[in-house]
Amino acid sequence: MFKSKHTRRNFLQQTGAFAAAYAALGALPRVARAAREKELNVYCWEGYNSDDVLDPFRREFSAKVRAEGLTSDPDAVNRLRAGETKVWDLINVNNPWAQEMMWPEKLIRELPRDRFEPMFAKMMPQFHPPYPWAMDKTGKHLLGMTQRFGPFSFVVNTDKISRGMAEDQGFKLFLDPKMKDRYGVLTYDNWNIYHMCVTADVHPFRKHTKQEIEAVGKVARQIFNGAKILTDDLVQMNLALINGEIDAYFTGGTYTASPARFDGARNVRGITPKSGPMGGKGGIVWIELTSVVNNPQVSPLAEEFLAYVQRADVSKKVAFAEGTYNPVTQMGDSAVLSKFDKDELDAIQWDSLEEEMANSVDYDINPDYAEMYDLYSAAKREREA
Amino acid sequence: MRSWLRQPGLISALPVAAFLLVGFAGPLLMVIGFSFMPPRTFSLAQAPTLANFTSVVTDSYYVSFFWSVSLAAITVLLLLLVSYPIAYGMAKLFGKWANLVTVLVVIPLLVSENIRLFGWVLFLLKNGILDGSLKALFGLGAPQILYSVPAIVLGLVYVYLPFMLFPLVIGLSLVPDVLKEAAADMGASRLQIFREVELPLAMPGVLIGSMLTFILALGSLAESKILGGQAIVMIADDIESAFTFAQNWPKGSVLSVLLIAFSGALVFFLFRRVDLDRIIGRR
Repeated sequence: MFKSKHTRRNFLQQTGAFAAAYAALGALPRVARAAREKELNVYCWEGYNSDDVLDPFRREFSAKVRAEGLTSDPDAVNRLRAGETKVWDLINVNNPWAQEMMWPEKLIRELPRDRFEPMFAKMMPQFHPPYPWAMDKTGKHLLGMTQRFGPFSFVVNTDKISRGMAEDQGFKLFLDPKMKDRYGVLTYDNWNIYHMCVTADVHPFRKHTKQEIEAVGKVARQIFNGAKILTDDLVQMNLALINGEIDAYFTGGTYTASPARFDGARNVRGITPKSGPMGGKGGIVWIELTSVVNNPQVSPLAEEFLAYVQRADVSKKVAFAEGTYNPVTQMGDSAVLSKFDKDELDAIQWDSLEEEMANSVDYDINPDYAEMYDLYSAAKREREA
Repeated sequence: MRSWLRQPGLISALPVAAFLLVGFAGPLLMVIGFSFMPPRTFSLAQAPTLANFTSVVTDSYYVSFFWSVSLAAITVLLLLLVSYPIAYGMAKLFGKWANLVTVLVVIPLLVSENIRLFGWVLFLLKNGILDGSLKALFGLGAPQILYSVPAIVLGLVYVYLPFMLFPLVIGLSLVPDVLKEAAADMGASRLQIFREVELPLAMPGVLIGSMLTFILALGSLAESKILGGQAIVMIADDIESAFTFAQNWPKGSVLSVLLIAFSGALVFFLFRRVDLDRIIGRR
């Protein structure tokens, strides 16, 4: 016969043990809080989470650093919104998010201007203080530090489509019937919408008329229906480009082309159109901003890390961490620039960077993004495969 | 003390029940809650609305649902065809070699799904392993299926094979050989033995394997993205996009709720019609 092992006595004992364990668990957060002096959690685009960047910091500050790579800006901001402000100390996303979303939503903290603004003075001239994207809208609060940036429009195989022709034609290249099934779409959806605006001769970063939004929806259908591949994986897209599956891809730039170029495929090139609807400009440039998260128990190492990555040797490591290779704003300082060799400069298209920047506007918020996104996602779903 | 408090089973189950409530039911309830919130909002403390349901019905999301359901159904059929003979071998013929087959099927599961799928990309790519080798050896390339619906189906069948195979092995091992011998003695043909003895008795495995792989394929995403070049958009892709790029949690929640409701209804309907306990008990 089954006999219960539980008696009133051992039930009380078990309850007591459970209560003690619970109390010990309750004490854990206090221990964790005390330990945050030597702990740092970084949520960033790939590169800052590289051990090449983190290990020297860990050693110098005897710190336990945890870093997680993010795969999309909106996803990262979502996670902060969903309560992960308690987890992270630093967040690294593209320029508009800090000023337009994270600061108004109290997801990030301001930086001390006296400590960090002098670091902007050493950057390339267009990033000198007060750098608008690093400030809040009133211009009083410093919201983050810039480092990596890059022109981002589209990528071609220059053996098939010459750089000159691609720059002259701009995004209209993808509407040419001869290009059907000869290009891919890298599904960085937010970027695609901006670039589809440019393709439709519409400025992406201002209020739009109904006709303009419809024109963008029409372009979205044309682009998707003519594409051979859609993927959000830049390695896969470069591979398709190198193997001759496609001759170009829509949405791309130094960030996506550089790994292939550094591997020797110099025919993979990010293109910035010479002209377009944004005050005559046809390209867009992204600038990353790293901000201190509004963590109630923020680590004091967060600001130390921001200062650490500005150093010349670390700046170079950030630019050439694994994954993708990108110019950094610190290259305005000759001590940083001298750390790059010829192949590295060629991988990040240093030869044309200034010209490409001059032909680009800064990434920004599109006020009609939501409405355009509905048309865009419908075009993708209803694509004629 | 009340009688229910004296039941050790109930008391012991309480921590697990609480954990399930917080960790499993809680997030599900939040998703359901968000589906009734106004579009593009991030708080649950608002007046409920049906706007998201209306927009999902009027938009073309039926296309993604259609693709997900169709591909899941095709995957299950192909998996049954591929796995049944292997499972039969493992349950009845291979003897000690069955363990080796099990290990061979299980080992790839230790590698991330994305990496395995990317391996297939390298294999199927134009001038890749298959195409390049065939060109070098015979001067003729392979048909290009990468970035198309057949490539997605290939990926689904490959990834979910173990989830069909092992339930089938268990199902087939439930079939007593003496019954098949008895049927043969009484003059049944091989087809009759298969249809009237083996298949009905192996049905628990067939059903569990089919259900498992159907639900997994229904919510799949990586195969269409990596192998299919998003030739089509699966519903899981729409859900991910709604939560991320569209910044529209309520719409993503509605799509999730509809997918969960569809899967739940299917399982409920099937297990109402087929009583697994009865089938297994009949042995």
